[in-house]
Amino acid sequence: MPPFLFWLFASLMLVFGAAVVLNRNPVASALSLVVSFLGLAALFMSLDAYFVGIIQVLVYAGAVMVLFLFIIMLLNLRAEEGRRINWLAATGGIVVALILVIQIFSVIGHFQAARQTFPSLERSTTDDVWNIGALLFSNYNLPFQIVGVLVLVATIGVVLLSKREPR
Amino acid sequence: MITAPLLEVGVLVLGMVILMFEAFATKIDKRILAFAAIAGLAIVLVATFFVAPVPSPNQATGFWNFYTVDRLSVFFKQFALLTTILVLIMMIDYAPAVRSSFPGAHDGLGEFFTVPIFTCAGLMYLVSAIDFIFIFVSLELVTISFYVLVSFTRKNPVTLEAGVKYLVLSALSTAFLVYGIAWIFGVTGQTNLQRITEALATPSTDQSATLLGMVLVLVALGFKIAAVPFQIWVPDVYQGAPTPVTAYLSVGSKAAGFVVLLRVLRPFATLPQMQRLLVLIALLTLIYGNLAALPQGNLKRLLAYSSIAHTGYLLIGVVCLDSNAVVFYLVAYLLMTHLSFAVLVIVAQQTGEQIADFDGLAKRSPFLAFAMLIGMVSLAGVPFTAGFLGKFFIFYAAILQRQIALVVIGVITVGCGFYYYLKVVRAMYWQPAAKIDNISVSTLSRIAIGALIAATIWLGVYPQPILDALKR
Repeated sequence: MPPFLFWLFASLMLVFGAAVVLNRNPVASALSLVVSFLGLAALFMSLDAYFVGIIQVLVYAGAVMVLFLFIIMLLNLRAEEGRRINWLAATGGIVVALILVIQIFSVIGHFQAARQTFPSLERSTTDDVWNIGALLFSNYNLPFQIVGVLVLVATIGVVLLSKREPR
Repeated sequence: MITAPLLEVGVLVLGMVILMFEAFATKIDKRILAFAAIAGLAIVLVATFFVAPVPSPNQATGFWNFYTVDRLSVFFKQFALLTTILVLIMMIDYAPAVRSSFPGAHDGLGEFFTVPIFTCAGLMYLVSAIDFIFIFVSLELVTISFYVLVSFTRKNPVTLEAGVKYLVLSALSTAFLVYGIAWIFGVTGQTNLQRITEALATPSTDQSATLLGMVLVLVALGFKIAAVPFQIWVPDVYQGAPTPVTAYLSVGSKAAGFVVLLRVLRPFATLPQMQRLLVLIALLTLIYGNLAALPQGNLKRLLAYSSIAHTGYLLIGVVCLDSNAVVFYLVAYLLMTHLSFAVLVIVAQQTGEQIADFDGLAKRSPFLAFAMLIGMVSLAGVPFTAGFLGKFFIFYAAILQRQIALVVIGVITVGCGFYYYLKVVRAMYWQPAAKIDNISVSTLSRIAIGALIAATIWLGVYPQPILDALKR
């Protein structure tokens, strides 16, 4: 992928990521998040990680965000639009973020591996999905199964906490 | 002889069986489920003493890349099981409060008793984890089950606030953890802690970039163990969560966090920057936890600040890399914290959780007052209790390492501790009771509290069994 595409998609992500926070309207925030996810998916694809990129679009930008939008539209969020920005907190947040950025840049400045060009990945004979599946069911089987338990607990919790009271 | 991974499988199967039983047997008294869970966990606890010896780390393939069975992990599996059993006993006493927040036929108690079993499995995996991916997954299992438990009594606005705060801040700390792991993986190309140690030893590895990753991981672990400046959630969440869950958070979650911290820090221990950073965090935690606890009038909130203070003492042990001192302190902390919370659960249902509600407890229930007395003096660190020896080993390790600043601040803050812990004792023994009644204590709780009192004093006089268990 030509470098200018990387910069295009990266800045798309950053701009819309900021828009998620800055927008007062929840629907606009959610839609900005969708665009930000699309930029991320494009970056994944540029790294030859097609499966992760497509999952990013289908699951996050598609399913999860549609659910978000439904819920936002069902709730009455007028109060959110009228809220003012707390400038003290915003300044504090910006200062902390700036310190982190400066720190990261100073580390990257000394980072040798960041300057050299790596050879491109060798073409694999099998496709992405096959590779990920093989890894999940061989080397990473244990964490994969624990994720199953995790989803079970999350399901119990969601059913329990969102249950309606009988009238 | 059994192999160690079977223990977690046993706990998970127990959780699922109880969950299924709860789904189909709707007419039974839900407390039976808690008794079944306690019995099942006790069987697993007994089984941990017959775990087969460790496979040699050379043949590390597949499963054994993620999972280790060393002395530390087996000890902390027993620790997690014991904590969960004690929390379940407290939950039985707490059942009326849960029932009142679920009107109708379904009272939510079945889930209240089953979710801790899965948390326990998560804790047991976490203390065995030697790979960042596995650490992340099992840490999330623990955290997500805590999201459910913290906001369980959802009718109470304070609980809901606690639940939302815990969810948002915990998700933020998870983001830091993943970002840190990504940095470490990016530099070393490894997620296994052993291989990261090897990669760090080669001169071509960029030290400062790994250090940045490690600091980000430290942020996430600092959140779990409630170290300053990542402690902001602790007072509100501890106060708002159901009391047994608060006890679970302050013992189980913290102990597992410390085990992971000890494991993760090992590759980085030799770097002087890391040492300085940890000393700074320990000092801040000691000072903040102890000073902020001084004016508290709510006992649950007081215990929250005291939990931050104890993190400070434990961090002294981490700075000195003396895992035995840290482990002994954690055992003492388990005993005395559970003792205080067990009494708090029972008394809070009669009167309330303010310190003023404990006025004259010695007349209302001499047994509970004595239990609370032992818990408080042990937390303060009075000699002949487990808490004293815990602090003693920690300070001894610090003196050997010439960490003079830590010892001086540590001893001064222990003095602060005496003030706020003995405030509770004063209320129980020297204040007139506002209401004269006899507080009834169930047999199971009576046995558990009695055992905790005995263990606190016994370990304060004769700590050898724990020290032997770690050396063996």
